[in-house]
Amino acid sequence: MKYKAIYIIAVFCAWLALVQAGAQKSRRGDPAPYFLQLPSHFPRPAYDFSRNPLTKPGVALGRFMFYDYRLSKDSTVSCGFCHQQFAAFGHFDHALAHGVAGQQGMRSVPTLFNMIWQKAFMWDGGVNHLEIQPLTPLTDRNEMAMDLKELLQKMQADPQYRKMFKAAFGSPEITSERMFKAFTQFIATMVSANSKYDSVMLHLPGASFSDEEKAGYSVFREKCAACHKEPLFTDLTYRSNGLPYLAALNDVGRMKITGNTDDNLRFKVPSLRNILKSAPYMHDGRFFDIFQVFDFYDHGIKVTPTTDPLVKSGIPLSDREKRQLYFFLNTLTDYSFLSNKELSEVLIN
Amino acid sequence: MILRIFFAYAGWFLLVTILFAGAPGHGDSSLQLHITHIMGAQPLVRNQVTYTNSSGEPFTISRFRYFLSNFSLETVDGKRSILPLSYFLVDDAIDSSKIIRLDNIPAGQYKSIRFLIGVDSIRNVSGAQSGALAVESGMFWTWNSGYIMAQIEGHSPVITSPTQEFLFHTGGYKAANQVLKYVVLTFPQPLSITTGKQPQVQLSADVAKWFLPDTVSFKQVAVIMAPGVNARKVASNYQHMFRVTGISD
Repeated sequence: MKYKAIYIIAVFCAWLALVQAGAQKSRRGDPAPYFLQLPSHFPRPAYDFSRNPLTKPGVALGRFMFYDYRLSKDSTVSCGFCHQQFAAFGHFDHALAHGVAGQQGMRSVPTLFNMIWQKAFMWDGGVNHLEIQPLTPLTDRNEMAMDLKELLQKMQADPQYRKMFKAAFGSPEITSERMFKAFTQFIATMVSANSKYDSVMLHLPGASFSDEEKAGYSVFREKCAACHKEPLFTDLTYRSNGLPYLAALNDVGRMKITGNTDDNLRFKVPSLRNILKSAPYMHDGRFFDIFQVFDFYDHGIKVTPTTDPLVKSGIPLSDREKRQLYFFLNTLTDYSFLSNKELSEVLIN
Repeated sequence: MILRIFFAYAGWFLLVTILFAGAPGHGDSSLQLHITHIMGAQPLVRNQVTYTNSSGEPFTISRFRYFLSNFSLETVDGKRSILPLSYFLVDDAIDSSKIIRLDNIPAGQYKSIRFLIGVDSIRNVSGAQSGALAVESGMFWTWNSGYIMAQIEGHSPVITSPTQEFLFHTGGYKAANQVLKYVVLTFPQPLSITTGKQPQVQLSADVAKWFLPDTVSFKQVAVIMAPGVNARKVASNYQHMFRVTGISD
């Protein structure tokens, strides 16, 4: 008798478990996860994926938006317009960023890769989170000049977007939070960690520096690595490198964000990865050739009260060292990243 | 027999389920805040009415918006009840935004309410947000991340710019320049929260308080659009703008 009772209760429990499983099954429609391979020789990313796990349709939506020129006021400028893959998502041959209606900004287009390791964005670190970073170029009148409310309405009216948001987030509702998260998902997949330098550091079979590259690496370690810290090739700090101030641009750098005079002329240390593919150089793109940069550090530094102590007396570089450094920097070009088909432009009809 | 045992167990199961499902939220009540915007003694009228500030400068108001968040209540015996985190953007142009409903308040007798004018620092640094905090409201700085905690805009003939517009956008969540102002308002008599009732608290927000006691002059400062000394000054003024004008069951 007792056994029968237990049997019946067991059946009842099994039925409950089945009901639960049925409820679980409705989650089968969840978007397929996107597995991002993180480089083993990098630190932990700064971006917290727990609130925005990568999914295939999420990344695809971010990529679609990144290349959609309709996201600008007059439908002429997409994110990818300025952030070109072959230039490591910088703007090839452009000193200053430009946007809709012939407007021009006052800084060069920053390269986009390894952004999930950064804590603050823009040359002055004024943007405090990767997710809201796209807000600035989307709304800046010198860039895409879009009103965010208008943009959301425009997207909501587009069946293709409704479909893609549904695939990524479960419902066709288009909110700024979802839009920013999808952008972030795509940007997160822009990981550049597969240059010759990386292969050498990871002791991959057959990977080794040439004599000149090796010598250049020594020069780099001695004269550049304090700020351009491996493996990201930036320590993500804001420094004044002694670049002469240009009155025409009147760009005070980080001081505009903090209001602290000690931050005058400080800018974020840029990564040196893909550097030979992402000219022009400096926050205002004033140097079009890496040898101009070497010459600047050798004898072009203008000392101001905020100039970094590490560069105050210049960084002497002989012609031989410059050549060696050039060969080393060449090993930081990540060809698989520059030609990664998953990041390339998508056709928007 | 078997059936009887089964039903007995099923009955217990049902009872436990109901108890657990019913527990949270059950027995809790809500409260409504009704906010009226005034200028001195008169109701605030945007654009139509010319006012005079403490520096004797005539002006009109075209926009008045602010965030309220981080609500808590204090019971008559001094216990603080922190309400679930919620954020509201109050806009003078949108009447429905001036009615705020606070839920999940434990039953009790309360003597005061406390809230933040603005958005706490955590939400300023946590990326994309939804609801009242969605950035398309325009209450977020794009070039120097952070919420605009409160905002008044208007016109004054003493301003020499082509638009003669003043734009006071106060923000700043970092220690040196933070404008996070907590407000504590005592009720005229204890407010009783019980299940099934939704008492109302009438609040007034006086825009005139933005210009005093630290006297504001449009001639001196017409645009505040960054964290800093001017934003701090105006925020120190407006932290006194709220009053409880009445409560009702």
